Amino acid sequence: MRKIDLCLSSEGTEVILATSSDEKHPPENIIDGNPETFWTTTGMFPQEFIICFHKHVRIERLVIQSYFVRTLRIEKSTSKEPIDFEPWIERDLVHTEGQLQNEEIMTRDGHATYLRFIIISAFDHFASVHSVSAEGLAVSNLS
Amino acid sequence: MVKLAAKCILAGDPAVGKTALAQIFRSDGAHFQKNYTLTTGVDLVVKTVPVSDTGDSVELFIFDSAGKELFSEILDKLWESPNVLCLVYDVTNEQSFTNCSKWLEKARSQIPGTSLPGVLVGNKADLASRRAVDSAQARAWALGQGLECFETSVKEMENYEAPFHCLAKQFHHLYREKVEVFQALL
Repeated sequence: MRKIDLCLSSEGTEVILATSSDEKHPPENIIDGNPETFWTTTGMFPQEFIICFHKHVRIERLVIQSYFVRTLRIEKSTSKEPIDFEPWIERDLVHTEGQLQNEEIMTRDGHATYLRFIIISAFDHFASVHSVSAEGLAVSNLS
Repeated sequence: MVKLAAKCILAGDPAVGKTALAQIFRSDGAHFQKNYTLTTGVDLVVKTVPVSDTGDSVELFIFDSAGKELFSEILDKLWESPNVLCLVYDVTNEQSFTNCSKWLEKARSQIPGTSLPGVLVGNKADLASRRAVDSAQARAWALGQGLECFETSVKEMENYEAPFHCLAKQFHHLYREKVEVFQALL
C-alpha cells in the first residue's frame, strides 16, 4: 500500500463541522491542498473542526499549518459516525511572527475514521488554519 | 457574510450603571431597572449587533461582573480572554472616573501583547446639576488611551446603543486586519 496525504478533499475527505464560518474563508480551505487558502476563527475560543475520511485510515505523520494557534488538542474516532472521540494529541505551539506555524507530529496508534481539532487558545483574538495533512495509509472502507 | 463573536467585559465602579446599561441594551430600551441591586458574580447578556455598511454582524457576549471586585481573583477568571471592553463611569462621581485607569489596566493585563478595543461610557448624563466630570476632560483621557468616548443616560434611554455598536465596529475592523495578516503569510 502506498502512503498518501489522507487530508485532501480530492481523496474524498471532508470537513463535516466547524464552529466558525466566514463564507470567504470556509473550513474546506483546510483540506484543499493549498496553504494559501485558510479557515479563520471568528471570535472566542475554544474553536473546533472535524475531518471525516469516509474510510478507516492509519496516520503516521500529521502536519498542521496555522497562525496564532496556542494550544491545540486533537481527538480521534474509529467509529462509523462522528462519536466516541478519544484524546490523542495535545500541543502548545510557538508563535512565529510573520510566518506560518508548521507543526509536525509523528503519530502513534493512528487508526481513525474522524479527527477532531480543538483550538483551545490562541495568541490573538483570531487564528487561522491553512492546511492539515495526514500522511498514512487507507486501511479499509467503512461498512 | 460573517458573524463574529466577541466577549465584552463591562468594567467600572459599583453603582455607575453597568447592569442598567447592559439590561436596557438587551431589552432594546424596554426595561429600566429603578431599584439598584448590587451585582454579585456575573450576568451574561448576549446580543447580535449588525455592522453598518457590511452584511456582517457581531454577537456580543457581555460579561457584567460585580464592580466591587477590582482586586479579586474571581474577576481574573471571569475576565479571561476578553475581546472588547466597555468601561463605564458615573458623570456625577469623580472617583468613578478616576478609577477608570485602574479598571483599564486590569482589563488590558488579561491579554498582554494583544490590543483590546474599547469604549469609555459616561453614564447618568441626565443629572446635569450634579455633574462632576467634564465631558472634554473625559474625552481627552479616552483619546490618550485609544478608547472611543460616549455619554449616555440609561434612565432617559439616551445613546445606550452607540457604545455597543462602536465596539462591534472596532472588533469587525480588527478581524479584517487579521485576515489581511493571514493572507500575507504566503
